[in-house]
Formats: sequence, structure tokens, C-alpha cells
Amino acid sequence: MTQDVEMKDRPTPSNSVSSAVPSTLQHLKDIALLIETGSYSKEVRRIARAVRFTVALRKKLTTPVIASFLDHALGQGSEVYSRISVYLPKDDEHDMEVDTATSANLAPVKHLLPELEIYCYLLVLLFLIDQKRYNEAKACSSASIARLKILNRRTIDVLASRLYFYYSYSYELTGDLAEIRGNLLSLLRTATLRHDEISQETLLNLLLRNYLHYNLYDQAEKLRSKAPRFEAHSNQQFCRYLFYLGKIRTIQLEYTDAKESLLQAARKAPVAARGFRIQCNKWAVIVRLLLGEIPERTIFMQKGMENALRPYFELTNAVRIGDLELFKSVAEKFANTFNTDRTHNLIVRLRHNVIRTGLRNISISYSRISLADVAKKLRLDSPNPVADAKSIVAKAIRDGAIDATIDHEKGCMVSRETGDIYSTNEPQIAFNSRIAFCLNMYNEAVRALRFPPNNTHKEKESAEKRRERQQQEQELAKHIAEEDDDDF
Amino acid sequence: MSSAVVASLLAMHSGGKKYLPALQSSQQAEQKQQLWKVTTMDPKFAEASQLFGRFNAALTRNDFDSCTNLLSQLKVMLTEFKSLPPLFEKTPNTTHELTLAREVYEHAVILSVKMEDQDAFERDFCQLKPYYTDACDRIPPSPQEYPILGLNLLRLLVQNRIAEFHTELELLSPSALENPCIKHAVELEQSFMEGAYNRVLSARQTVPHQSFVYFMDLLAKTVRDEIAGCSEKAYDYLSISDARQMLLFSSDEQLMEYIKEEHPDWEVKTGMVFFQKAKETAHSKEIPSLQLINQTLSYARELERIV
Repeated sequence: MTQDVEMKDRPTPSNSVSSAVPSTLQHLKDIALLIETGSYSKEVRRIARAVRFTVALRKKLTTPVIASFLDHALGQGSEVYSRISVYLPKDDEHDMEVDTATSANLAPVKHLLPELEIYCYLLVLLFLIDQKRYNEAKACSSASIARLKILNRRTIDVLASRLYFYYSYSYELTGDLAEIRGNLLSLLRTATLRHDEISQETLLNLLLRNYLHYNLYDQAEKLRSKAPRFEAHSNQQFCRYLFYLGKIRTIQLEYTDAKESLLQAARKAPVAARGFRIQCNKWAVIVRLLLGEIPERTIFMQKGMENALRPYFELTNAVRIGDLELFKSVAEKFANTFNTDRTHNLIVRLRHNVIRTGLRNISISYSRISLADVAKKLRLDSPNPVADAKSIVAKAIRDGAIDATIDHEKGCMVSRETGDIYSTNEPQIAFNSRIAFCLNMYNEAVRALRFPPNNTHKEKESAEKRRERQQQEQELAKHIAEEDDDDF
Repeated sequence: MSSAVVASLLAMHSGGKKYLPALQSSQQAEQKQQLWKVTTMDPKFAEASQLFGRFNAALTRNDFDSCTNLLSQLKVMLTEFKSLPPLFEKTPNTTHELTLAREVYEHAVILSVKMEDQDAFERDFCQLKPYYTDACDRIPPSPQEYPILGLNLLRLLVQNRIAEFHTELELLSPSALENPCIKHAVELEQSFMEGAYNRVLSARQTVPHQSFVYFMDLLAKTVRDEIAGCSEKAYDYLSISDARQMLLFSSDEQLMEYIKEEHPDWEVKTGMVFFQKAKETAHSKEIPSLQLINQTLSYARELERIV
């Protein structure tokens, strides 16, 4: 479950200033510059972009590169430099590099931006995690969190949210997630007080993940339902939120809502996040089975997921046929997979769906069948199969799974003629839900459009035209917002 | 404290456990021995243990009034120990204090079952839970943990709080699921969901623990309501004797009374129970015009915005 849903954005060529193939160090320096301008002009977007570039550079980072970057950014010998460089792994190569750097770079220590400092922490932390030095990563992240608590600048928020993420991630890798729960909660409080929505979003997800890691669904739901909701800032965080929400709802038997969240999470997740999408699909399959739906075959045939979804495919097959024996053997065969996926308890719940499907098949094929035969066909292995079958059929009738009556004297189940569905309101309801879905999709797309705050690119249209257009857009946005208010 | 008093208290203490003979273990007895040794050191702890001894004695005598009395005193006393949740401070005899507190709450739960008080059960169980989840690395596991967790699952089932039932279930480890007390509750839920009600009822004979009986009796009532609900949908009519058998009544009079109270819409004539009336409200051919108008108007509005 430790997948990292990160957009793998590549830096656009226009950003590499110096040469066609600039060195990693040069890239880092560019990023530092980006952060500086972002910090001075108070543009959060620039800093967000800087973080994205860094992630793209992740694979190329080495100790000497980072050491010399720290050198460049923080200034050799400064207090911050010594604080951060402690965490870099010490090897001979690194020492040599530092020596040369010292002789070369004796620039006066300039005034240090807090953004840059935090960025350096983030860079080192990323590097440590990639190098699998988890204990150092834990120490480094804890130090950076302590530092972050003192700083209160909106331009840091983006960096802070990333740091929180890796903070929790490094603790998860060493299996000490429970330790930082209190810390995360206090960070969430601080972020809420500072109206730092990006961090709030990230921290809420981290806490949910933390609780779910220990199966504390109750606490997770209590936190989730009370946390303030706002428009998502980051698609990845929103995906995660939906996934956790789906899981909680599944456990609490709200299958319809769970299905919606899980499917949405799977759809919104970036293509690169394969592990995450596999998880979403696994849960979505189970939830759909629990709802009595049979997922289409294409779900299991998605590229790169065939193997991971194999156990769930066989499970679906067993439920589709309604064969209890087959279901049992599949559950046993893949018991290990289900246990590691922690879906075992859900699979146990499925048993009754298998019976339902079997019963539905029987009810469709026979207009009249004795209860003893029903029990035999369902392969109910119990001391009193006929009595079991009777009450199971009765319950299925009440829940609307089959349309039939039981003739008590003759001991048989009589199926009713299936009515014409087009004489009911059913088609109209289905049609309405589809239209609502499409309209909602359009509205969300309109709302998701973003415009840069100051139009740096040359506008071809005249000022007047633009004003007119903007006014229209605003009106449209206002309309949609009002609509929303009406709806809820 | 004189050794004679300690000995007599000890006797009472172990006597108080008689109703749980299966759960007694020699290891526990040893723990208790240690417990008493510490008693002599800390006066507050000594007082609490002494009170607990008296509470246990009262519980054995089924003297519920003095039990509740002593229990509230005990609970107040427990608040003074800093080693207990949520503070978890380190004190010299943390283990003993935690163990005592856990036992107090365990017995409180048992008491609530004996007194058939579901609200008290929920309260006491909530207080007990941190000792199983958060304090498990500080004190050795309690032998009563699984029976009590099983009881709680059963309670949730009886109260038809299935979502919470599953939330609790997720917290249990695979090995815990194998425990007979837990397994019993899990299997009951399964049979209940499937509709195999006679399996639920026959499970009463195989209760893994005496205190489960109370909840099983409650469950029987829930099952009867379920069967009644299913029957009225599944059957057109039933003979009175069949209905009596299915709804688990011993006499026709009881059945009649039940029908009068719970299902006045059932019709009884010529030795038959007819369920037709309950079904007739199913279909109405009316067109939901107001809803349709609303929907169509909203489509028009949305489309206008797009074009």
C-alpha cells in the first residue's frame, strides 16, 4: 500500500537556462532560483513548480551533488548548513567533494530565505528515503518538522505539505506510524488555525492513513466527518482521500457510497500510480460484488494489473456462478493474498452474496422447485438444509433479491412472472441519474479551469473584449456556486 | 495490613471468580500473589484492591446493589492512579495498577451482563477497551479479553449495529478470529445475514461462555421479528400451527397476542393467517408528475448554461 501517487512531470526545456543538457546541480540551482523569486513575489505556484521539478530529478541525486547544492544555497559554515548537512551520509567521496567546494566557494553568507532552508530539508529527506536510510530520514524529518512549527509563511505551505508527507512516509517505512499520530494531530490543528489548506489536506490524509494502518476505522471516520472540507488543491491528495473514504464506507457497509468513492479514486489517479490504482480496483471489485453487481471482465484485464487482480477475478467468477464450493476453494487458495490485502473479512461477508446469486439463478430457471432441491443446488451443508433453505429464500424474497412466494404445504418455491421493467419508473430513474452525472461532470470541468493571476502571456483580444469575457465567466461561476448552494 | 486479612481477602477474591471457572489459570493466581505483595507498599493501591475484593465477594453473592455501590467507589478511586489511560505515566507499580484497573472494568462488564443493563455494558466496555488496545505492551494479556470482546460483538449484533460490528471485527487479529468466543459471534452474524435463522437459534446450545446466554436470549427476540418480517413477504398464507412453529411460540394464544401487538395488518380466519394486506401497498400506477417537472426544468436550466 505504499505507493506514491506523484505526477511525474518533466521540466520543460525552456526552463533549463544554461545548456542543452544541464547538470543535476545546475537544475537544482535553477530550482533554488525559482523558489527565491517565488518567495519574493509571494507566488505559491512557482514553489509548487519547484517541488515538481525536484521530484523529476529524484533519481539523479547523489551525495556530492546535494552537498555542493547545500553549499551553494545555504552558504558554507552557516548554522543552518551544519544543521542540515549532518544528515547526509558520510563517505569518502563526499568528504573530498566538500573539501574542493570549500576552497572554491568562500562567498559571503547571504541572508537565508526560510523557503530555501525548508527546501533543503526536503531535498535531503527525499534523498535519504531513496537511499533507504530510513532512520536518518526519520531524524531529518523530525528536525524539519520542529523547524516548520516556528515558521508561518504562506509561501512555505507547499513545501511543508510535502515534508509532512515524507515525514509520515519515513515512519511508515520503519513501522512506527503510531508514534507520530499525536504530532500529526497537532500539526493539523496548527495548519487549520493558519488557514493552510494544502497542509490540512495532506495531514488529514496522513492521519486517515495512519488510523487505517491499524484498522482504526472508527477513529478515522470520526476525524473525517468532523474535519473541514474544502475544494481539493491537489489531485493526488484528493485521490487518496477518496480511497480512504471508500475503505471506511466499505467497512461500515455503506456500499453504494463506497463504490462511488473507490471508482472515482481509481479514475482520477494518475496513470503512473499503478499500485494505487490496483488497490482501488481490488476494493472496488469487492464492493461491487457485495452490492450484488458483477464487475466487467475488462476491469481485470487492465494493462499491468492482470496478475495482481487474478485472485479477485476468480472470486468474481465464483460469485457470478453462485457456487458455494468454488467460492470456498478460491477463498482458501488465495487466503494469503486476501490476508495481506486485508480484505479477508470482506470476503467472508461475500458468502451470503454467493447464496443470493445462486438463488437468483434458480429462481430464473425454475417456475416451481422444491426447497429440498434448492438446498441441494445451493450446496448448503448444514444439519437441516430444508429449514435453512426455507428461511434463506424467505429473506431473499423480503430483501427483493428474487420475486417469488413459498408454498408451505407443498414445500416449494414458486417464482413469479418477471414483470415488464419498462412499465415501471425504473428506466426514468436510470436515465435521470445518467443525465445528472454528465451535467455534473461538465460543471466540475468548468470549475476546474484555472487562470493565472496576472496574465503574463500576450492576450490577443482587446481589453474591452477581455473584460466582457471575464465578466461572463464570473457570472457563470457565480451561477454554478449558487446552484450548489441550492442543492445542499 | 495483617497477613490474616490478606489471606481472607485472597480467599474472597478467588471465590469471586467461581462463575468463570474456565478462565481461571494458575498464571493469574501468581499475578495476584504479586499484586498483594505490592499492596503493602502503596496505601492507595491497597485500599483499591481491598475494595475490589469486597466488590468481587458481592458479585459472587449476586448482591447487585452493593456491587454498583462499590463499583462507583472503585471507579472514582481509579481516577487517582496516574499510570492509567489516558495519562500512562510511569509509576513504580504501573503493571499492578493497570492490571487491577483492567480487572475492575472487566468485572464491571460482567456485572452489567448479570444485571442485564446494555447501556452500562457499553459504558464499561468503552472504559475497558484502552486496556486491550493501548496498554497491551505494558501488561500481559488478560485471559478474559476474548470472551469480553465476543460479548461486545454479540451486543452489537443484538442491537442491530452491524456497521459497528464490522468496525470492531477489523480490529481483531487473524489469531483472535480463531478464538471460539469471537468465532461464535462472527458465525452468528453470517447466519443472520444469510437468513439461516434456525442456525442462529441452535447456536444457543453451543455458547462458549455462560454470560453469552443473556444476549442469545435477546437475539432470539430479534430473530422472531425478522422471521415475521420475512414470512409476510414470502408466504401468501400460513396455517396457524405452522405460523406458531415458525415464530417459535409454544401456544396459539401467544401467537395471537404477538400478531395483535406487532402485526395488526395480518388477517386470521378459518385457522389460517393471511398476509395479503401487508403486500398490497406495493404498486401504484401514478406518474410522479411533480418530480418529472422538476427534473425537466433542471435539465433545461443546465443546458441553457452550456449553450
